[in-house]
Amino acid sequence: MTKDYSSRKLERKQRRCEAIIHTDVGIESSEKPTCFLAILNAGLSTGLTEESVLSNAIQYAPVQQVIMLPNKSYCFLKCDNVNNAERIYNHMHGRAGLEQRGGVVYLSYFKSLPICKEENIWTKPLPEGLVLLPDFLTESEENMLLKAINIEDVEQSDLKHRRVKHFGYQFIYGENNVDPTKPLNEKIPNECDILWPLLKTEMTKLGLPTWDWDVPDQLTVNIYEPGQGIPPHVDTHSAFLDPIFSLSLFGDVVMDFRRGSDRQPLKLLRRSMLVMSGASRYDWTHGITPRTLDVVPSETGLTVMPRQKRISLTFRRLRRGPCDCTFPTLCDSRINAQSNLCPVITDVIAAQLEEKNVHSVYDCIAPHFSETRHTPWPRVAEFLRSFQTGSVLLDIGCGNGKYLQCNNNALTIGCDRSSGLINACLERAKIISETSTNLPNAFRCDCLHVPVRSQAVDGCISIAVIHHLATAERRLAAIREMARLLRPGGRALIYVWAKDQRANDNKKSAYLLQNKALNKNKTTVEQQRQCAAAEVQQQQTEQFEPLIPGAPQLPVHTNRTDFMQQDVLVPWKLKGASVANKDANNSAPSSTYLRYYHVFESGELEAMLAQVPDVELVQSYYDQGNHCVIFERRQK
Amino acid sequence: MRLSTYNFLTSKAIKGVKVGFPLKLTIAKQDVVESEFNPTFIERLLPRLDWSGIRLAAEVAGLNDDIPAELPANVAENEELLKKLHHLLLEIDVLEGQLECPETGRVFPITDGIPNMLLNEDEV
Ligand SMILES: C[S@@+](CC[C@H](N)C(=O)[O-])C[C@H]1O[C@@H](n2cnc3c(N)ncnc32)[C@H](O)[C@@H]1O
Ligand SMILES: [Zn+2]
Repeated sequence: MTKDYSSRKLERKQRRCEAIIHTDVGIESSEKPTCFLAILNAGLSTGLTEESVLSNAIQYAPVQQVIMLPNKSYCFLKCDNVNNAERIYNHMHGRAGLEQRGGVVYLSYFKSLPICKEENIWTKPLPEGLVLLPDFLTESEENMLLKAINIEDVEQSDLKHRRVKHFGYQFIYGENNVDPTKPLNEKIPNECDILWPLLKTEMTKLGLPTWDWDVPDQLTVNIYEPGQGIPPHVDTHSAFLDPIFSLSLFGDVVMDFRRGSDRQPLKLLRRSMLVMSGASRYDWTHGITPRTLDVVPSETGLTVMPRQKRISLTFRRLRRGPCDCTFPTLCDSRINAQSNLCPVITDVIAAQLEEKNVHSVYDCIAPHFSETRHTPWPRVAEFLRSFQTGSVLLDIGCGNGKYLQCNNNALTIGCDRSSGLINACLERAKIISETSTNLPNAFRCDCLHVPVRSQAVDGCISIAVIHHLATAERRLAAIREMARLLRPGGRALIYVWAKDQRANDNKKSAYLLQNKALNKNKTTVEQQRQCAAAEVQQQQTEQFEPLIPGAPQLPVHTNRTDFMQQDVLVPWKLKGASVANKDANNSAPSSTYLRYYHVFESGELEAMLAQVPDVELVQSYYDQGNHCVIFERRQK
Repeated sequence: MRLSTYNFLTSKAIKGVKVGFPLKLTIAKQDVVESEFNPTFIERLLPRLDWSGIRLAAEVAGLNDDIPAELPANVAENEELLKKLHHLLLEIDVLEGQLECPETGRVFPITDGIPNMLLNEDEV
């Protein structure tokens, strides 16, 4: 009896999960066994990793593919035949041991897999300009180089971070650059001279172009213990010429290359040489995920490769002068030139633009805006909850304060420029906690001048705020201000709207999915754009006269469509005209307000962060149509 | 504004101001909002606070006698002091009043519990 009851209950649970998956990604479960399995109750959002699913499943049968979707509590496996899928199902379904927490996992068969861009990441051609030369050195050459770089004296600082040693010039992490006027006494060891003729021969054999400068003059040695990694980054354009050479010694690893929503892993075997040139050097980031197992292809599908200690030698040639590449997105020279030379919009005009198209708009729409913003985004809440008891957290641009109550063991303080929204904070808090024991701490200020002591907070967040600043300098200044507030070791989280609203497997973000008219095929994007443009143009002439002298004419974005350019005005429609009339001291009866946005390209936030001294990028990701970074203020 | 928040505020962003801390606090109207006492929280929070700011807050709130001139070393075992700090820092809510820059005299009003720290463009 009881067994029956509990198995019925379990079945209901399974059906519920299957229904969720069906709604989320549109695929159907199957009663009959198929090649496609879903783990229904464990996924990225429950802390499961690709390598742990895989290492578990391949004990029972070969696996062709693992699909883990961001923020989901389920994941998928693909086998090359039904027998193998059945074997995995029989060994894993209803058993514990997959997750660290030891919970039981449930599996179901599906008729297909979710459509996923990353289907064949291992067979895609390498990023342009990337060349991998396996078995570049012999074992005795490897030994000779290891001896020459003599890493015995590099002290073990802490277990979390890789160790480094520099030759030729010091790489200064605080500035992400080298000082060409301060060469080190210790030059690149002569033993490395064998590499360059060898490399030129190999490249010429493959019909590949070599380089037009002499030999590298800077060497960074990185010592990775198993589990250690390096955050995704691009080697500072203005610091080094093209190409960059990276020699792997001692152990194997998987390196991830990323550009926009593209991700491409590359297996770097011991004694291989990697040449990064062109797009792969300038336009793709590279990094190593901190973990102890790597997922790699095998003869039967996928398998895991345990990490060993690995020593990498990165050889570079200093550039003297600004970068002249043709890849603007991650180019520090280009970003600096833009903010210095571009006279189109001055600080004063930017401030006026923000006043008109950000601050006064938020004040007008505050009550309505606040009504629509209640649920904290899970990953922001998770970040806030990661701080210990007694921490001090600051939410800069807190709006109606929806993040102020996420971590009750911390002192959370909010600030915002809009008095309308700060008042909404208090209103909201009164509604949530009837006893009003937890009234929010909030004050009014601008995010460029936060009136808080330096190095005073353990954590700060800026969620959907910096994209409202109208010049690159001001956006950078806002990030610098966050860095100033952090204690050494403190961490900050930034969310900004992404220009690309479809990153992540080409799944549309919630923002685009909410385009109801389009979803029901009632209209096309083009029609929507034309309509909206006409409507807004009319209002613009009424509402926004006189235009700010010297301000650029900005295009008006059509809501819930892809962004056409980076600097845009985004309409906010107020439904009840009564609300608008109450607050607007503007005589126009209009109820559409235009908010200024600078939507970010992928990598843009990381490139800005690289210019902030004393901080290190910890993680960058894409969430709900936003580009996001977590950074840490360096200890010392 | 709770007095724990007060402990972090500075007017240093004003052009020419060197320290801008602690701000001169005036309380015109306050509320006392009872909240749950968590000794670990207060104890861990203390190293993040500025003691001179705590002292000044106590003075203005009329709780001078509750707070010693210097932070005692063994504060973790002194539950009574932790309770007093809890009350001062987390239960007193300043509803109306002002903050004043100690160097320039610039006044930041507190209205409905919200300090307005916004500066004009020509002040920064
Ligand atoms: C899209 S809302 C986000 C609010 C909140 N962080 C959230 O996630 O719900 C943007 C907020 O940024 C604030 N803001 C815009 N420009 C600002 C500035 N220069 N300084 C401070 N806050 C600003 C606005 O008042 C508004 O509350
Ligand atoms: Zn460049």
